Amino acid sequence: MSLRQIYETYHKDIQFLSIYIREAHPVDGWWLGKGAFSVVIKLSGSKATLDLHDPTTMEERRSVAGQCEEALKYGIRTFVDEMDDGVNEIYAAWPTRLYLVGIDGKVAYAGGLGPFEFKPSEFKKAIENYLVEIDVSA
Amino acid sequence: MPKTIQNKREAQAWQKHHDATAPKVGDAAPDFELSDVHGEHTVRLFDFRGKKPVALIFGSYT
Repeated sequence: MSLRQIYETYHKDIQFLSIYIREAHPVDGWWLGKGAFSVVIKLSGSKATLDLHDPTTMEERRSVAGQCEEALKYGIRTFVDEMDDGVNEIYAAWPTRLYLVGIDGKVAYAGGLGPFEFKPSEFKKAIENYLVEIDVSA
Repeated sequence: MPKTIQNKREAQAWQKHHDATAPKVGDAAPDFELSDVHGEHTVRLFDFRGKKPVALIFGSYT
């Protein structure tokens, strides 16, 4: 199940927040757009070969975040981390990560480190289990 | 401003360093307040406490 599908299924019970953080593979960083392996990455549909520089101002960061929001079409409003990467660092979110925060303000699910431990199916299961749990205790 | 990660080694070091103190299940989720892509509408995580669970999806374009 994709994140979009998870959102469409649970958005009435769960508040979804998309948080844009520092770029994973900008041209001026760990770029995967060169070499033979880049062809494989491009064919996989990954955006890691995009010709995109890491934003250096909030204006640039918001602009790229807006492009990302538009391209992914999750239907989830995107919020942008400040240039000090404060939220990114506190949640060890880079390059991508999932969390579920319960109604009590406590972490109900903390996804593994991305990209390989970024698991929407596991996230969906955590959401389902949490909703059952709070329904039972209500 | 934190520097852009340049390679796998730096990525792994960054993750290891920050994951050590990242919130785990059962921990209070650190509060934050951020603006949307237009710099207008803001959201604060604590505002949802007692109202709705919150799904946080962190990522970037690449």
